[in-house]
Amino acid sequence: MTTFDLLLQQTINGLSLGAMYALLALGFTLVYGILELINFSHFNVFMVGSFVGLWTLQSFGLSGQDVILTGLPLAGVLLVAFAVTMLATGALGVAIERLCLRPLRDVKGPAAMITTIGVSYILFNVILLSVGADQKNYPNPLPTVRFQLAGAVLDLRVILIWIVALALMAGLWLFVQRSRLGKAMRATAQDPEAARMMGVDVDRVIVIAFFAGSALAGAGGLIFGLYYNYTSFLIGFTTGLRAFTAAVLGGIGSVPGAMAGGVIIGMIEAMSGQFIATAWTDVIIFSILVLVLVFRPTGLFGRLAPVKS
Amino acid sequence: MMSRRAAITVTVCIAVAAALGAVGPGQAIAADQVVKVGIDASLTGADAESAARIKNGALLAFDEANAKGEIPGYRIEAVTYDDGTATAGQYDPAQAATNARKMVSDPAMVAAVGPQMSGAGKAMAPILSQGDLAIITPASTNPDLTDPRFAAQYRPGGKPIYFRTVTTDNFQGPNLANYWADSLHVKSVYVLDDGGAFGVGLADAFQKRAEQKGIKVLGRDRLDPKAPDYATILTKIKPLNPDALYYGGVMQGGIKLAKQGHDILPKAIKGGGDGIVGPEMLTAAGFPAAEGWYATIASPHLTEDVKLADWMKEYKAKFGFAPDDYAVTAYDAALVIIDAIKRVAATGKPVTRDAVRDAIQDASVPTLQGEVSFDANGDLKDRTVSVFRIKRDPNFPSDDMVHQYMYIGVAPAS
Repeated sequence: MTTFDLLLQQTINGLSLGAMYALLALGFTLVYGILELINFSHFNVFMVGSFVGLWTLQSFGLSGQDVILTGLPLAGVLLVAFAVTMLATGALGVAIERLCLRPLRDVKGPAAMITTIGVSYILFNVILLSVGADQKNYPNPLPTVRFQLAGAVLDLRVILIWIVALALMAGLWLFVQRSRLGKAMRATAQDPEAARMMGVDVDRVIVIAFFAGSALAGAGGLIFGLYYNYTSFLIGFTTGLRAFTAAVLGGIGSVPGAMAGGVIIGMIEAMSGQFIATAWTDVIIFSILVLVLVFRPTGLFGRLAPVKS
Repeated sequence: MMSRRAAITVTVCIAVAAALGAVGPGQAIAADQVVKVGIDASLTGADAESAARIKNGALLAFDEANAKGEIPGYRIEAVTYDDGTATAGQYDPAQAATNARKMVSDPAMVAAVGPQMSGAGKAMAPILSQGDLAIITPASTNPDLTDPRFAAQYRPGGKPIYFRTVTTDNFQGPNLANYWADSLHVKSVYVLDDGGAFGVGLADAFQKRAEQKGIKVLGRDRLDPKAPDYATILTKIKPLNPDALYYGGVMQGGIKLAKQGHDILPKAIKGGGDGIVGPEMLTAAGFPAAEGWYATIASPHLTEDVKLADWMKEYKAKFGFAPDDYAVTAYDAALVIIDAIKRVAATGKPVTRDAVRDAIQDASVPTLQGEVSFDANGDLKDRTVSVFRIKRDPNFPSDDMVHQYMYIGVAPAS
């Protein structure tokens, strides 16, 4: 393996991590863009998503690495798994908004943010107590297909992750930019009062933002399970914190920022593991975050938020 | 009308009277003096299944002793402590320290079995030492805990209080290096650890012997047990083409290393210590990822010994799953404690912690693994290390330790 091959392989690793972080970062950014609320429950919505995906795959009789599917059955199972997971976590996100956050909508101060931390711990403990603390073996129905790319190996799993992540992000982008509801979302993000006066149903926009963000987190959770072949109640905090960092780095509130931030964090993680040491990864990620914020307080793609009344 | 509080008091009194009445006057139970023993293991987190096997091994011995009336006039009450926490996902030194304080502050507590993890042991030993409470570990193998060079740190109270029914990583790591060098002709190795007290010590001991044996150590790195992604580090290792990969650490990192190592370094020989001996490796890492991994335990291999067949059956009947070797060493640790309490009780003196500790120090107890006795620092005199290789046997359940970990033999000591 030459240095070039090695760099290529680490780029593949970094992009896979980045795709996962980006999916998760989008949820932080969507909610922040509209409510200016950092939604910490998002960490564990992602974790719940990976369990919903696990149960869905298990309901098809898949367990461990014993059952390999190909062709139409594989596509069907994956489609159903993603659909079920995204609907479930989307609904969970909407429930969190409706039950825990809407009553606090007009309360000033950090009450809503603290509530999201509380919700995060509730999800964490519900999963811990119901499934136990051990790591779960995640079914991997994908056949082992490896492509040689120069000296690097490109796994079918990795390609699938990229395709799903890109498709979901493109879908979100089209939705926000092109659809009527997306327009309403952008309007609400700019000025909720004015949007309301123009006839935008702000409550509905907020529900949509929670649904979309949480559904993407669920997809991220399922991708996590398929990629690493395990899940546990703990994954929300480690992965979620990096994704949150990605959102801040890209400029929280900015959709392209979240995508770019995710990829950047993924690449930093891969390259610092290669050239420095994995033990230093967190130090490097957070040092870069601090540096970026010192020189660009709104993040790489963030614009100064309009002053809200 | 009676006040509410008075009503409650009356109710409670009636209930207590009824309970006492049920026992009946003049029965032997009332006469037996209760002594407490602790059991500490990492029952929450990635090592939970191995921990349950250890806990039950000790419980079985205490239950049998009570049932047989092994110590006339005394009844042993076992108290279980969990040093694993949800936030750590495995053993948590802070929780271990809290458990040690709880044990020490209970005046009826005279000795304990545990802990499972060296990282927990390092947090507990100083507290137990100051409380004069002896503990016998069936699984924690970090040498520092009993090393007189670290006496100020781990036994500030003076006398050794940390005993073991397994040997230490001074033998566990190096003996596998011997086996790899001599029998598998490994020429190069990459060493990883999980940053824990046990993992770092084991990897250091392995690495030192590997170098002495002429195995080229291509590098050393540290894994974050909570991080999901080891692909980066494995990709870094891949172009170095090591013959083997050695992992010093416990399950949380080991499971993920097995999974991702299987994809990225399919050809390398892989192995570790007793931290990756447990059903978790078979169920959470699973096959084919775990297939072919080498692992050692710091005790003789006992669960396939014909002499233990009845014991194995009894254990399985009682707890519903088969024991592993550290369930045996936990049972042995409990036997040593029972024997010590019995000898103290036989002298007619009160069963105090100090007397029990001294009796453990002088122990020479026939156990399942043979005669157990300790050196002046609390280490087991027997220094057997056993080597296993995970090999799937589809005829048995996947979490069946006896059949999925193939016993290779005793690892060479030099």
